Amino acid sequence: MRPRIVSALAVAATLALALTGCGIPADPDGSLDRITGGVLRAGASPSGNLVMVDGDEVSGVLPEVIEDFAAARDARVEWTVDSEEDLVDDLASGRLDVAVGGMTAQTPWAEQVSVTRAYPELPGANGADVVILLPMGENGLQAAIEGFLDEEVG
Amino acid sequence: MRIDAVGRTDLPDQQREALRSAVRWEWFTIGYTTVTIVLIALVVGGSQAMKTAWVEDMLSLIPQISFLLALLFIRRRPTRAFPYGLHRVMGVGHLVAGVALLTIGGSLAVESVVGLVKAEHPAIGTVRVFGATVWLGWFMVAVMALVVVGPFFYGHAKAKLAPVLHNKVLYADADMAKADWTTTVASIVGVLGVGIGLWWLDGVAALFISAGIVWDGIKNARTAILDLIDQRARTQDDSGAHPLIGRIVQRLEELPWVDEAAVRMRDMGQVFHVEAFVVPRRRKVRVRELDEARRAVAEIDWKMQDVSIVVVPALPKEATNESVVA
Repeated sequence: MRPRIVSALAVAATLALALTGCGIPADPDGSLDRITGGVLRAGASPSGNLVMVDGDEVSGVLPEVIEDFAAARDARVEWTVDSEEDLVDDLASGRLDVAVGGMTAQTPWAEQVSVTRAYPELPGANGADVVILLPMGENGLQAAIEGFLDEEVG
Repeated sequence: MRIDAVGRTDLPDQQREALRSAVRWEWFTIGYTTVTIVLIALVVGGSQAMKTAWVEDMLSLIPQISFLLALLFIRRRPTRAFPYGLHRVMGVGHLVAGVALLTIGGSLAVESVVGLVKAEHPAIGTVRVFGATVWLGWFMVAVMALVVVGPFFYGHAKAKLAPVLHNKVLYADADMAKADWTTTVASIVGVLGVGIGLWWLDGVAALFISAGIVWDGIKNARTAILDLIDQRARTQDDSGAHPLIGRIVQRLEELPWVDEAAVRMRDMGQVFHVEAFVVPRRRKVRVRELDEARRAVAEIDWKMQDVSIVVVPALPKEATNESVVA
């Protein structure tokens, strides 16, 4: 039984890999399609070296990741600097596509927004389970960002 | 065959073998289900359909556990404190299983409706396996496709044993196992729906699964309650009055001293409690004749756990006196 399970899993995994390119998972609200070649509306909340805000300038490890992700998709980033709660509100009401700050996998906002996998290997994270927040259930966008981060830091 | 003062207390070989087999299948089911619960836990993610299927898996353990627990009790012989034996424990277990399915299924149904009304989009992220980023939904589909096979085997095996043992818990358990694939397919449809961007398909699948749980709860609680309030004994699938009632009437009316007979028979859970009313042809009845009548009834079937013969001048209306009942 066990070798059969393993081979079934292997077949499923291969199938999954083959189908990942075919637009599954897709976004219910089409975020990733809209962003690609367009505008990525990103929110930032200052947090140590991860997110630094100086006037209108947003810098740090996480904004860099977002800028790189956008660049890979021919998109321009529009930054909004606000408190975490306001960023979460904006994500939930569809005014933002991503939000970065010092949020970790333990974030209480997980009820209202999607939370990516944790990336403690990010420089400046100091081993904390750093995550990125997304609109709830935009799974295509989440898979794209997680895949991008896996390539960058994984 | 052992017939003592009130009825039969032994199990014939065929039933003994069926019971052993049922116990083995129940333990196998518990083991199998535990493995599936752990597997699903690894991939459950943000899908309401997966969560519902997962809880359903846990709930499906209740009938097996109550069957095995009840067996410990119904094997005990009657005592002065419990003169009818402890057979009703099976019915109590059945009721507990039914009520648990009903309440938890109901709360899951409410949860999925609330999710649909509030348009909560289920979030299913990715996992990293061997250097590749794979959508977790594919693992959900893979796990559900793996666990779909088990219930087919044990469902049909138990469905064959339930009529032999006249055990309603076993019958209900088998019935649920045979329908389990609909749950699994629904959760796969829900997850794939999320995959192609149809967020509501997840909630609809969850609602479908929880409605199935509620329906199982209603069926089980209803059957258990009807037996606990002593309805006329019915077949294990509850499709009609038990044919043994007619055979008892027939057997008693064959006796030369009996003019007519009627029966009240209730299901104690696996065995029956029989009260047979007889109107004698003459005014005098011998003790020996009565004892023979009781023995004749007990010999008809192993389920005649408890038989009393009551001599009456006229048959009570609520007792059944047809020789063929349906």
